[in-house]
Amino acid sequence: MRQVRLIWVLAWKDLRVEYRSRQAFLTTLFFALLILIIFNFAFDPGSPATREAAPGILWASLIFPGVIQLNRSFQAEAEEGTLYGIVLSPVDRGVIFLGKQLANWIFMLAIDLFILVAFVVFYNFSFSWSLLWIVLLLVLATAGFTAVGTVFAAMLSSIRGRDVLLPVLLFPILVPIIVAAVNATQEVLLIGEFEFFEKWVQLLVSFDVIYLAAGFLVFDYVVGE
Amino acid sequence: MWLENSKQFLATASRLLKVSGWMLLPLYLLIVIALWGAFLYAPLPDRPGADPAAIQALGDVQRIFYFHVSSAMNSFLAFFLVFIGGVAYLVTRNEKWDAFSAASAEVGIFLTTIVLTTGPIWAKPEWNTWFPWGDPRVMTELVLLLIFIAYFILRASLPEGEKKYKFAAVCGIIGFLDVPIVYLSIHLLRTLHPVVITATEIRLDPMIRQAWLMALVAIMVLTVVLVLLRTSMRLHHRAAQEMRQQLRERRARAA
Amino acid sequence: MPASPPEPLLRVSGVTHRFGPVTALWDVDLDVRRGDFVAIFGPNGAGKTTLLKVVASLIQPSEGSVEFPGDEGGRELVGYVSHQSLLYNEMSGLENLEFYGRLYGLGDPLGLARAMLERMGLTEAGDLLVRGYSRGMKQRLTLARALLHEPRLLLLDEPYTGLDQHGSRLLTEVLRSLRRDGRTVLLITHNLGEGLELSTRVVIQHRGEVVFQARRDEVDRESLERIYFEAVEK
Repeated sequence: MRQVRLIWVLAWKDLRVEYRSRQAFLTTLFFALLILIIFNFAFDPGSPATREAAPGILWASLIFPGVIQLNRSFQAEAEEGTLYGIVLSPVDRGVIFLGKQLANWIFMLAIDLFILVAFVVFYNFSFSWSLLWIVLLLVLATAGFTAVGTVFAAMLSSIRGRDVLLPVLLFPILVPIIVAAVNATQEVLLIGEFEFFEKWVQLLVSFDVIYLAAGFLVFDYVVGE
Repeated sequence: MWLENSKQFLATASRLLKVSGWMLLPLYLLIVIALWGAFLYAPLPDRPGADPAAIQALGDVQRIFYFHVSSAMNSFLAFFLVFIGGVAYLVTRNEKWDAFSAASAEVGIFLTTIVLTTGPIWAKPEWNTWFPWGDPRVMTELVLLLIFIAYFILRASLPEGEKKYKFAAVCGIIGFLDVPIVYLSIHLLRTLHPVVITATEIRLDPMIRQAWLMALVAIMVLTVVLVLLRTSMRLHHRAAQEMRQQLRERRARAA
Repeated sequence: MPASPPEPLLRVSGVTHRFGPVTALWDVDLDVRRGDFVAIFGPNGAGKTTLLKVVASLIQPSEGSVEFPGDEGGRELVGYVSHQSLLYNEMSGLENLEFYGRLYGLGDPLGLARAMLERMGLTEAGDLLVRGYSRGMKQRLTLARALLHEPRLLLLDEPYTGLDQHGSRLLTEVLRSLRRDGRTVLLITHNLGEGLELSTRVVIQHRGEVVFQARRDEVDRESLERIYFEAVEK
């Protein structure tokens, strides 16, 4: 119970800091929005082909801002060495991982939801209850994304040139998440039949479980010196 | 304490060198056998129902299969060794395991490159496409290659030291854990959008199976030998680096 | 001074640490007894910070061990003031201390944080964001952060860096009061005078080795300076 509370203490601290420097959040959100719009121009705007590609575009426009967010979450900690401050405390390092991951997860979900609304508008889908399935996908995919991302971002926060390194390390690992999320989104938005939806969700859940567990176990080795 | 690490490295390195030296002769034999098996012993696959012109066109290209598939399977072995070495390093904090991991990753990349270059040569006539996006095995190989290239980029951006070895170990572990998930995801994708491939049916002759087994064993031994050799080289290199540095420090102290 | 118990508070034995091929610490032995105020001197790159990080368990040494013979527990025994403030700029002084109090599992984090702010003369600044603090205020809050959980051993890594006259006088006062309270402190400093005045023991480190150790009453300023430069210029 104490551990759970500690996870929340850590995450709450991050969210509070993020809220106070909300300009960064808005910038990241704006960036996500830009990608969404640029993609629309990359294809023929409003054409059926663009609509076909829409699920892929949605997920692509969430991944890049996600990387920025992950980088930033540890840049803030490196600025005054606060990550050491946390690591010096007797809190278990796995718990520190879960706290950081939770904060990143919540933060990215906030961006995701804004983008989802913009996406529905720009790509001319309708606001219906089936969007809740997309929200479920966002929750699951973002959990896995931030689980792997938090480990790598923590690792890279002590290396120079981390801005490029994070996507280089992260993107190959994310292939299954992208495949699952894009195809499940396709079923919800374009096909309307939930033939494989459950399978994709299972895949996302197993990704989340594997990488949350792995992150919990290895975090001790990526923080400190 | 003076040079103790380097001495240990050197001892392990020369032991590995000796072992891999003993394995060289069997390796040569196995490779000759595998070549014989693939090019002389194994018949071309029986393609019931295909017209003779097609069979003629497919022809000997199919023999790539023996090395292609064997390399693919052994690349998984190599990356599994990266994973093992990573876990062992984190537990023991012994640098030898890092050298082992890095060596295995190199061999894994080498094998994956073989797979992804022989693959298209075979796939073009067989499936009429250079690169079958959507095949779970091909995609898993590709993603593995990307992951472990990133692994070496990470290694290159860190100075020698415990931190580098720890980070590399974590990266190798996380990377390897992805393999089954990537495979499953592409497998599912494939069931969802079946790719139309124009392959003729292949019936696997027992002789083909035997020839393939020869190639598999030969390349497995090759993998092990290469991993041992590279580990040994990396340990030698590290010992030399450390000796140089410690010599410098010792001179500074003595001055 | 109270009679020292036979068991040291901290025992560093045979610690060697390498960063890759570079040796940062070389076979360091150091016993610190309860109530010791140890000043560690040495030129840049002598491995002083590495030693402190090893004691703080931020670094696991390549060889040797760090023990607290009389105590159960680990990281919570140590308070650490590093080059960086370890404070969140976007949170107030009070929030910072409360947050760390929770991480250390203290009973009443908010109450303790308030008390600590008062002790450091920061009560009025408690609700301001740390971003708006002066260097001196920040340094005091850093000390408050390190002392919050009543550590057995306080590690100070060049706390005087960047402080103005006023700030360093305040800091000296705080350090003096720590010494009066019989706190156990490891202090890294470049300032021989300040360090000598505060300490009960002095240590000189050079190229990762402890090259000189003495009780405070065995050396005076001149002899320490002479020994220091002889050791370092070798």
